[in-house]
Amino acid sequence: MGGFLLSLFVVAFFAFMLAPIVVVVVISFTSAGYAAFPIPGWSLRWFYRIWEYPPFVDAMITSVQVAVLATVLSCVLAIPAALYLTRARSGWADGVTTFLLSPLSVPMIVIGFSSLFFLTWIGIGISFTALVITHTVACLPYVLRTVTAVHRAVPPAYEEAAAILGAGRWATFREVTLPLIRPGIAAGALFSFLTSFDNLPISFFFGSAQTNTLPVVMLSYIENQFDPSIAALSTLQLLLAVICLLAADRIYGIEKMTVAA
Amino acid sequence: MTMLTRRRLLQTGAGAGLMLAGASRMAMGQARTLNVTAYGGVWETTIRSCFVAPFEAKTGAKATVSLGSPAQWLAQVEASPAKPPLDVLIMTPDLAITAAQADRMQDFTVEKIPNLAKIPRQFTDACLGKGTYFDYGVAGITYNKKTVPNPPKSFAEFVDRVAAGDFVASVPSITYAVTPIMLIWAMAQALGGSVENVDPFFDAMKKMKKNLLFWSGPNDFFNHLASGEADLGIYFDGRTWNHYDEGATWIDFVNPKEGGALAAVAIQIPKNADPLAFAYLNEVLDAQNQTRFAEVMNYAVTNEDVVYSAKLKPRITPWQQAAFPPYEKIAAVRNGWVDRWNREIGR
Repeated sequence: MGGFLLSLFVVAFFAFMLAPIVVVVVISFTSAGYAAFPIPGWSLRWFYRIWEYPPFVDAMITSVQVAVLATVLSCVLAIPAALYLTRARSGWADGVTTFLLSPLSVPMIVIGFSSLFFLTWIGIGISFTALVITHTVACLPYVLRTVTAVHRAVPPAYEEAAAILGAGRWATFREVTLPLIRPGIAAGALFSFLTSFDNLPISFFFGSAQTNTLPVVMLSYIENQFDPSIAALSTLQLLLAVICLLAADRIYGIEKMTVAA
Repeated sequence: MTMLTRRRLLQTGAGAGLMLAGASRMAMGQARTLNVTAYGGVWETTIRSCFVAPFEAKTGAKATVSLGSPAQWLAQVEASPAKPPLDVLIMTPDLAITAAQADRMQDFTVEKIPNLAKIPRQFTDACLGKGTYFDYGVAGITYNKKTVPNPPKSFAEFVDRVAAGDFVASVPSITYAVTPIMLIWAMAQALGGSVENVDPFFDAMKKMKKNLLFWSGPNDFFNHLASGEADLGIYFDGRTWNHYDEGATWIDFVNPKEGGALAAVAIQIPKNADPLAFAYLNEVLDAQNQTRFAEVMNYAVTNEDVVYSAKLKPRITPWQQAAFPPYEKIAAVRNGWVDRWNREIGR
């Protein structure tokens, strides 16, 4: 009886979690000109609408560019920091870690708003560069946290053994450390990419005719328009996230990555 | 041999002068790019075809259209007031007042914008003379004709019949930015209250609470009606007609007899913006351009010379039949209303 109730609870829980997503996906295939559920018929017209409306396509390209660059920059900055801070014994290392992770505890809208004023003040202004810098600030903690978690689980003896056997620092990193922390990097990069790609509160403040990202254009679109193309875009975003997760699972195994996260 | 008469000399001279002036203006324009704003979707494409295209044709300048939201644009101007990244802002009426009070916007005069003479003075006064309205709708009662054959004609009747359980109503939640105006103030005013006294509104909400749903965005409202969860609600006329034209022919709208709240779109020019922005503004306020804009958007426009088509005319609620919100006064008490809503209604 207990097992049955537990199964029932699990099914109900997943139904509750997945139902809104399923509704959005189904609405994206509606033949109607408005978003309503159940749908009167099936059609791909709203996916076609995405390609037909240039700001959606331009914003999607910008979003991918920003997400890729912010992820690369986050890895470049966070991986060395994680490697050092994991092994550091001094008291200030904790302080530095907390500082680097602090964007996670600050509302994104505050980061966006303050970055707008700061970057304008130092002359970078509303630009693609400003967007990438601010997204990197928001994405860096994800890479730092996952790489730190994995690296902490790696016994220092492995790296010490490599050093004793004559490997230099770079060789130790390349041959010993990097293969061991790779699931952490993959998990961090994945979270980083998805966080940047879906980000609205930061991108909102740096939107312009040249730098608008997809969430900003979607928000502006639904201010006055109600067609299901937003549901179609959401379905595509969901598909992208699923593809990323499946690829990461294939390469590294989702279990290793979730341990890292 | 051609005789060079005085008349011909004057004509030639004037022609050459005009060509030179035109060429010079074109050359000046070509070097300049104006940054204007729009909401996404049909709004943006209509702004491009109705206002940007004639502006570019007349001045030879270019205009880029930035998609986004008023709060975003105002923040961007605030961050760089000496060199604003945007030259023309689309604003909500309350933000337009905030920007005007902060002295971030330029004065609107007929000398700078000749078509301003055709805009009712009230719309420019509502922006403290530093902007004007160019488009508006009315928040009234939208209903499903299938389930509400005899809709309420007034806010008072709406409250009584929802409280009696005749209908389930969908009203905006406090998370929707315009709720304090389109619902709290409009209903309080209609039920005998005022900006200073919104008790009639909160009393009405108590009476109706068993038969109320709340929408946090326009799509929610439409879904409430389309799914049958609600029969009617407080919504905008233009949006109602957009749904109708998209195939939801069961939907209809009535402006309550007390007058639904006017929901306008303001337009402003930041200080230190490109002076060419006034030429763009003149196109935005032009009767012919506004007529084309209204026909696509299903919303009323503000130039008095605009003549609506036979299809659009019956859909338009003249602004004189709407309730004109005192935005400045509301801004002063708005936080108190939100706090009271959270305590008494909570959704």
